[in-house]
Amino acid sequence: MSFEVIIGIEIHCELKTKTKMFSGAPVSFGNLPNTCVNEIDLGHPGTLPSLNKRAVELAITASELMNCEVDRLIRFDRKNYYYSDLPKGFQITQQFHPIGRGGYVDIDVDGVSKRIGINRLHMEEDTAKQFHHGDVTWIDFNRAGTPLVEIVSEPDIRSGKEAAAFVEKMKSLLEFGDISDVKMEEGSLRCDVNISLRPYGFEGYGTKVEIKNLNSVNNVQRAVEAEIVRQTEIYLKGESVVQSTRRYDETTRKTVLMRKKEGTVDYKYFPEPNIPPVLISDEFYSRVISQLPKTAQQRKDAYINQLGLSDYDASILTSGKDLSDYFDAIVGFGAPSKGTANWLISEVLSVASLRSDKKFADWIQPQHMADLLIMVSEGKISGKQAKEVFLDMINGESPKDIVAKKGMAQVSDEGQLLSWVTEILNNNAQSIEDYKNGKDRALGFLVGQVMKLSKGKANPAMTSELLVQELSKR
Amino acid sequence: MFANRKIENIEQEVMEAVSLARKQQPLLNAMVSFMEVDEAISEAKNSNGKMAGLPIVLKDNVLTKGVRTTGSVQILDNYIGAYDATITKKLKDAGAVIIGKSALDGLGMGGTGTNCHTGFVHNPYDLNRMAGGSSVGSAVLVASGAVAFAIGSDTGDSVRKPASFVGIVGVKPTYGRISRYGIIPYASSLDHVGYFTRSVEDAALALEVLAGRDDKDMTSSTREVEDYLANLNGDLRGKKIGILKNVIDAIKKDQTLALFNELIEKCVNAGATVHMINMDQTRLQACLPVYYIIANSEATANHSNLDGVRFGMQEWGDSLEELMTNSRTKGFSFLLRKRFVIGSYSLADENQDLLLRKAQKVRRLLVEDYKTALSDIDVLIAPASGDVAPLLTDTSADQLSARYLIAENHMVLGNFSGYPSMTIPMGKIDGLPIGINITAKPFEEQVMFDIALGMENLTGCKNMTAEVNV
Amino acid sequence: MERINKQKVFKLAEQLMLRLSDEEADNIIAEFDTLLKQLDLLNQIDTSNVEEMIYPFEEPTSFFREDIIDQVLSIEDALYNAPVEEEGYFVIPKVVKD
Repeated sequence: MSFEVIIGIEIHCELKTKTKMFSGAPVSFGNLPNTCVNEIDLGHPGTLPSLNKRAVELAITASELMNCEVDRLIRFDRKNYYYSDLPKGFQITQQFHPIGRGGYVDIDVDGVSKRIGINRLHMEEDTAKQFHHGDVTWIDFNRAGTPLVEIVSEPDIRSGKEAAAFVEKMKSLLEFGDISDVKMEEGSLRCDVNISLRPYGFEGYGTKVEIKNLNSVNNVQRAVEAEIVRQTEIYLKGESVVQSTRRYDETTRKTVLMRKKEGTVDYKYFPEPNIPPVLISDEFYSRVISQLPKTAQQRKDAYINQLGLSDYDASILTSGKDLSDYFDAIVGFGAPSKGTANWLISEVLSVASLRSDKKFADWIQPQHMADLLIMVSEGKISGKQAKEVFLDMINGESPKDIVAKKGMAQVSDEGQLLSWVTEILNNNAQSIEDYKNGKDRALGFLVGQVMKLSKGKANPAMTSELLVQELSKR
Repeated sequence: MFANRKIENIEQEVMEAVSLARKQQPLLNAMVSFMEVDEAISEAKNSNGKMAGLPIVLKDNVLTKGVRTTGSVQILDNYIGAYDATITKKLKDAGAVIIGKSALDGLGMGGTGTNCHTGFVHNPYDLNRMAGGSSVGSAVLVASGAVAFAIGSDTGDSVRKPASFVGIVGVKPTYGRISRYGIIPYASSLDHVGYFTRSVEDAALALEVLAGRDDKDMTSSTREVEDYLANLNGDLRGKKIGILKNVIDAIKKDQTLALFNELIEKCVNAGATVHMINMDQTRLQACLPVYYIIANSEATANHSNLDGVRFGMQEWGDSLEELMTNSRTKGFSFLLRKRFVIGSYSLADENQDLLLRKAQKVRRLLVEDYKTALSDIDVLIAPASGDVAPLLTDTSADQLSARYLIAENHMVLGNFSGYPSMTIPMGKIDGLPIGINITAKPFEEQVMFDIALGMENLTGCKNMTAEVNV
Repeated sequence: MERINKQKVFKLAEQLMLRLSDEEADNIIAEFDTLLKQLDLLNQIDTSNVEEMIYPFEEPTSFFREDIIDQVLSIEDALYNAPVEEEGYFVIPKVVKD
């Protein structure tokens, strides 16, 4: 007996804002504990929320990119529960009126496209971070109040591969939309998977199991696949699956029980009285829409159709926003697009691991890369020389300086080349003789002599042409 | 009076206020803590503000940076304000000298001044009587003559009721007129910052200092603040005064009605027209349960931040749940724990339709009725209480009688609707003051002040203070 | 509406991180009886087709706070009220995080 797998995915994603969702304290980037907080983030008495404009813009952007209908009247609600990482004793969220509803994204699995529904997208605030330390727990409220969007898919996903493709797609949309850093391992994008099995043809749903805190796309796929095996075995034994929350253990490659779910928790949701409904004006909305960033797919299409890149190259260049931005910047400085694509894919990516977590542009300036590639295309240096120069550029030096320092620049000046050619011909009567007698090797020898005389700077192609021309005169 | 008066000797005036409040403290118990005033005095000396050098008191639910702010609950007994409330800043900017923080019924939840963490607060006119609540300490300190201005807050009638019991002016302007940022809340959709003075002129000036948009409070209004004092005009000719008849009918005390009728007659003689306004009695009787359900629901969530983890009193435990439960159980009086349980019950998923949402729907109907009632008149008035201040020992109110439901709770309509509403004294019964409540249309504080001034001129009840034999 | 029982009162209190004595729970049940009678007053009012009123003034606003850092507490101020503090962190008994 085989089962149909029903999967829905919830994604929590930290928004790229400077300040918190409801306070003007800075969003933390690895700062010292409790240094990115104000009285609002700590839930002090008397504080009130004040809604971040940029967070709303990003939530609208995300909704649009996921084809959701945007609710132009923003409303918030309170979700009430007590926990040490929740300073106010309630989370401000959008339970009743999410900003985005009824959208979809298309994923691609093994060359087949599939549409996955987006049930809702809503804004909320993040909780504090806790660390276990001996017998006690330490709390850092820097993350408390960081703007989040939660995105909930419809239960349209049917396999581990689809689940991974969905998460990959969301990451791409959120990253290219400049909405989030989407760093799963650092928690700026978090993913919970709901999974249940049912016999094919069965209308209802089986018991749902939630797998929480998946920290990579690979683990999404592995966890789902392990859970499918586990649930299948349970059903085949004639037993029933227990409604529960589980996590994925990377070492055993199995899901592990965290806790059973007994009934539903009553969060006593009610409308947040301190935030009156806020209307997104036509002007505000149009401005956000007019500035929608290009998705990876749109950039890829442009690379193929406008720049003439291959599908393969365009796919690689749009696999991450940083790489795509880097490519655009280099081409923007006048470097040839195909040459840039080839160079980035074959040379830069192979040594890019050296840059650790730096952005490409912070590692080697796009202007420097462009200068290098323009020198190659103009024949000022050879491809082989370019590779040597590139490795030195990692230290921040400009390619022009490196080329000058190493005396690498090719000489393509005809007068200079002609004087070298003449000198070599004058001193190699035997080779002229050999050439006239049809010995092809003689030309190669003469080119080599000119290169030697010019200390490698002579443009080989032009040297060869000039030699043929001058030999014919003798 | 501080309107139109420049305080010449700031140090002397402030020290007199401090000294009087200290002397009265053993009898009235109105103050929670006294503040250092030296720095504020020297700053006030260089101030051109509208309250330059004026000694004032804040209700102890108003945040003051670096100064203890308790909300009158055990769990905040050691809490030091991490920031200044917006109004604290505004008052300091206007040159006021805050001399202390005054007592309140815990977290503003109570109307008697008998549920304060610091003990009963006494009425300066009769120490055996209550002074109302929850802004009891502020009301008492203004009535006792210690200060001419004090901040309160008003969620049901917590400024306007005590003002009636101690014979002073109590103002609750339009919802959103004064920022709530930095006020320890009770129920956010009903909470208003209010204040006490001894004259309508002072009340008009004070609103100029306190009002205005604050981006830290998203519910605060962007409307311009008017020159209430300069524009103040007590001429009652042509003013349309509505009387809320349901309240008159519910009052059983002849002396209250006599005082009220006397004032009405004087108003008519002064050129006002009087209109009897009847509201739907059934709905009006629901004011109290509507208030009780909405206020307790919002309050239980609002005070979930008081958990012993980040500030305030902590009782350690073996687990997080124990720590929170120990801290909150010890930190809140039974009355507050009871209110939280009832609020939480109203919020529970299975009850919300029958309780919170039902109450919110009736709130809408009541506000629509109220709007209609005010549509053809300038202000709606009624006695602010059916009787003078009760004895501290009196717990006899029959909570289901029309007398109680309407006569003692009608002012909550001002909180449901957010309309500006104030109490001024209308006279005394057997030496004890009693007030009249005046409500106007939203943001028509000027109209409200004008008619209040007209009435103040007629009653002569201005700058009243109690004699406290210290 | 049903009369509330003691078990339910204790459950509600527990969810609110509050303890009640037996006596206190009885007192709350008595208060509920008054509330139920007052509810009768509410239930006499027809609210079909009436929307809940959440805010005193319901016109939508259009204000958003600009995404500019405007206030941060110093670490001293942030921790000033902390009942227990270690190495810049707030401290609580060990919790097992979900």
